Amino acid sequence: MKGAALKLVMLGKRFTRKTTRTDALRDVNLEISEGEFLTIVGPSGCGKSTLLNLVAGLEEPTTGWVEMDGHQIRGPGADRIVVFQDAALFPWLDVKRNVEFGLRVAGVRRAERIKRVGEYLKMVQLEKFARARVHELSGGMKQRVALARALVLRPRVLLMDEPFAALDIQTREEMQSVVQDLWLRSGTTTLFVTHDVREAALLGDRIVVLSHRPGTVSAILENTAPRPRTLDNPEVMEHIRRSNEILKQEVQWSNQPKL
Amino acid sequence: MVESTQALSMKRTREPRSNRNLRHLIPMVIVAVAFVALWELIVQLHIWERYLFPGPDDVARSLLDIWNRGLLLRSIAATLVRLSVGFLISLMLGAILAFLMVHFATFGKGIQPYVLGLQTFPSIAWVPLSLIWFGFSESALLFVTIIGSLFAVSVSFADALRTVPPVYLRAARNMGTDGMDLILHVTVPAALPHLISAAKVGWSFAWRSLIGAEVIFATVGLGFLVNQGKDFLNIAQVMATMIVILVMGVLVDRWVFSRTQEWASRRRGLLPSK
Repeated sequence: MKGAALKLVMLGKRFTRKTTRTDALRDVNLEISEGEFLTIVGPSGCGKSTLLNLVAGLEEPTTGWVEMDGHQIRGPGADRIVVFQDAALFPWLDVKRNVEFGLRVAGVRRAERIKRVGEYLKMVQLEKFARARVHELSGGMKQRVALARALVLRPRVLLMDEPFAALDIQTREEMQSVVQDLWLRSGTTTLFVTHDVREAALLGDRIVVLSHRPGTVSAILENTAPRPRTLDNPEVMEHIRRSNEILKQEVQWSNQPKL
Repeated sequence: MVESTQALSMKRTREPRSNRNLRHLIPMVIVAVAFVALWELIVQLHIWERYLFPGPDDVARSLLDIWNRGLLLRSIAATLVRLSVGFLISLMLGAILAFLMVHFATFGKGIQPYVLGLQTFPSIAWVPLSLIWFGFSESALLFVTIIGSLFAVSVSFADALRTVPPVYLRAARNMGTDGMDLILHVTVPAALPHLISAAKVGWSFAWRSLIGAEVIFATVGLGFLVNQGKDFLNIAQVMATMIVILVMGVLVDRWVFSRTQEWASRRRGLLPSK
């Protein structure tokens, strides 16, 4: 299925707890085209995850709205699937059943489920581990299962919330190329949130740099480096340098004493 | 990585199961033998009259006697039927109450202190009310069993439900799960090990309540056997039945709850796999 176009309009989120109010996100306007790979990078606490949750419909915006192909998003749906930082696989199910979960919910017939689960497990090279339990998998394998569980639903938008932040550097780089390959094959619109500028510059067609809390868009960088990319591509390296610069200014600015 | 885990666990299973079971029973047997020896020793000191403080041999004879008369089996059956029915009802009502307490936070906050109070409330104190409402009947015994365990079940079920990591619920909602599906396919399996512990707590409350009530007013059952022994000044029967009650408690705990708990934990790697 083709990726969807997204439009974020004046999007803002404020969390209210008893006495404190936190503006996580303010006035974010973004247009993401069909099949685009957009990376969102920013310092921790800049509302990156909140932005994904709003697109996923897991949270309600305080201001503004999100449109998918011109229709306003109301609540969660299997057309927008999140891959969480800690994979969030269900430990009471084996790998196969984890990948199958969303299909069961959607009421897909058994024969079709088996076929698709097999296909996507193969795609992430885990067909041998279909019967393994979640606790038997390494961190990278868990994220592969999470990817398969997301992609098997053929979502129109894939939302990745710092999916590789907890992985060691080798596994992370391997997973980055897995994601790039899968995206090149599937053409799903992808929003990839990370605090790692290298990852952002490597993967994104565009790189959105968010400011410190409240998160607003401070820069959007176009990245036209040919794919599949590697970190030593000169354009990728240039984007790493520029995003780092912008982020540094952000952090300095936010560390100024406020009057 | 999976292969190596499996290889390890293969090695572990090589040891025959029956051997292992017998070996871990040894300390328990030693304690039982020591206890009986000490008991016999005290009896030999002739501090109390034998009919007030019978020896192990008297109790064993009494046990054989109630067994031969078919009294023991009938009593166990009656008690177990009441326990199963009462405990099942208590589990169902407790699950509903726990769900309401967790799902409707305000309701939960309002009712929690009372439920906690009722949990510690001695179940025997329900007996007079139960007798007035239901008479000397099975219903009265069931009522005490249910009311004596319901609140413990609710509190521990509610605690179990609160242990479910929110990220599982988010992931499931994200894939389009909601309502009853979310509860049955995510909340319950995610909380399962804790739910089993909760049921275990609940069963011990139900067991104590039932035996207590049986001692006071049943006409058949293990509690009744204890009380009958007292009425006929047959202390050996009192003790024999008490031992049966103790052993049954151990067996249910080991065979029903510890087994299921182990199974649930093993499945998600909280224990080494077999």
